[in-house]
Amino acid sequence: MTELLSREEFRTALEKAMEGRQAKDASFSRAWAEGKLQRHHFARWAENHYHYVGPFADYLALIYARTPDDCTDAKDFLLQNMYEEEIADVRHTDLLIRFAEACGSSAERVMDPRNMTPMTRGLQSWCYAVAYREHFAVATAALVVGLESQVPSIYRKQYPVLIDPDVYGFTEEEAEFFDLHITSDEVHGERGYQIVLDHANTPELQQRCLEVVRDGADMRFAYTKALYDTYVKPDLGEWVEEPAAA
Amino acid sequence: MPIIRFKTSGRVVELPDGGDAVNLLRVSIRHECGIPWRCASGNCGTDRVRVVEGAENFDKPRRRERERLGDLLDAGFRLACQSYVDGDCTVEWDPDQVGLDVDSKAYERLRRIWLSKEDSA
Ligand code: FES
Repeated sequence: MTELLSREEFRTALEKAMEGRQAKDASFSRAWAEGKLQRHHFARWAENHYHYVGPFADYLALIYARTPDDCTDAKDFLLQNMYEEEIADVRHTDLLIRFAEACGSSAERVMDPRNMTPMTRGLQSWCYAVAYREHFAVATAALVVGLESQVPSIYRKQYPVLIDPDVYGFTEEEAEFFDLHITSDEVHGERGYQIVLDHANTPELQQRCLEVVRDGADMRFAYTKALYDTYVKPDLGEWVEEPAAA
Repeated sequence: MPIIRFKTSGRVVELPDGGDAVNLLRVSIRHECGIPWRCASGNCGTDRVRVVEGAENFDKPRRRERERLGDLLDAGFRLACQSYVDGDCTVEWDPDQVGLDVDSKAYERLRRIWLSKEDSA
């Protein structure tokens, strides 16, 4: 039978559960970071990404409703995260639409669910299912540790090339969606870890957290890869990693 | 091994060699170093710190931080939530400091959302 892991052991196990499955290593992310994409590829990305991150507050609200009211720290974290997605500053999806418009798409196209790939629909459905069905610490592990906490490492690679005039040449305003998430998701991710470490307090819950973190990382990897296969492969062919410069 | 010193709380955090640059507010939250914060998105300014040593180990400020801090940037302040650090540094802050955002558009919009005419009269 599996033993209860200490806080440090459990944190390390959660971090390890994502290794080798990080979305920043998927073909679409690699092509992005290497300056190979065109604006119409970003437009299709935004039209998909909206349907994954747009309902983030809905996912969190489902978890919130199922979190016992004596777990005040967890409830407050979820509420604050929802508030920050929606009304604390500019609504995050408005920033995504602003980026999509700079790529030649429109608010109508971005919000139209017919424009997402089956894999995007799968990722969105998985997020709803986990939020609705799992223990609140497990759902937080899946959505905040497994998915949201990956965001800073992805966007820290992708943002500088977006605003580099010699690469993609977006303005800082057009690319604000990325800049904002680099930092806000650092803090969401860290606080997510704390909730999971505090409340996944049986061996079974810890193991379930590790499973869903693996599943979440796999889902996001597959979603990102599907974007390449659907929209970029017809233009650039199969993604081939260039050898690192000596 | 890079060392971050949080002078106001007396906490010291050692980071592993060769790792990526780390977000200063994330380190503070993870190791309970006490920097006050609120929005984590460069908007409120609650988490401003004065860099006592090691300013060269911070990354360049991006737009949100430049706009929020203005002249405070030249006076040696940074926003912990916006800062990435990859070497030794020491920071301090006023434990009672509050946000810089009472004059911001976001604050004004929230007041409009939350306060009815009767409440704000
Ligand atoms: S916490 Fe609000 S600006 Fe950093």
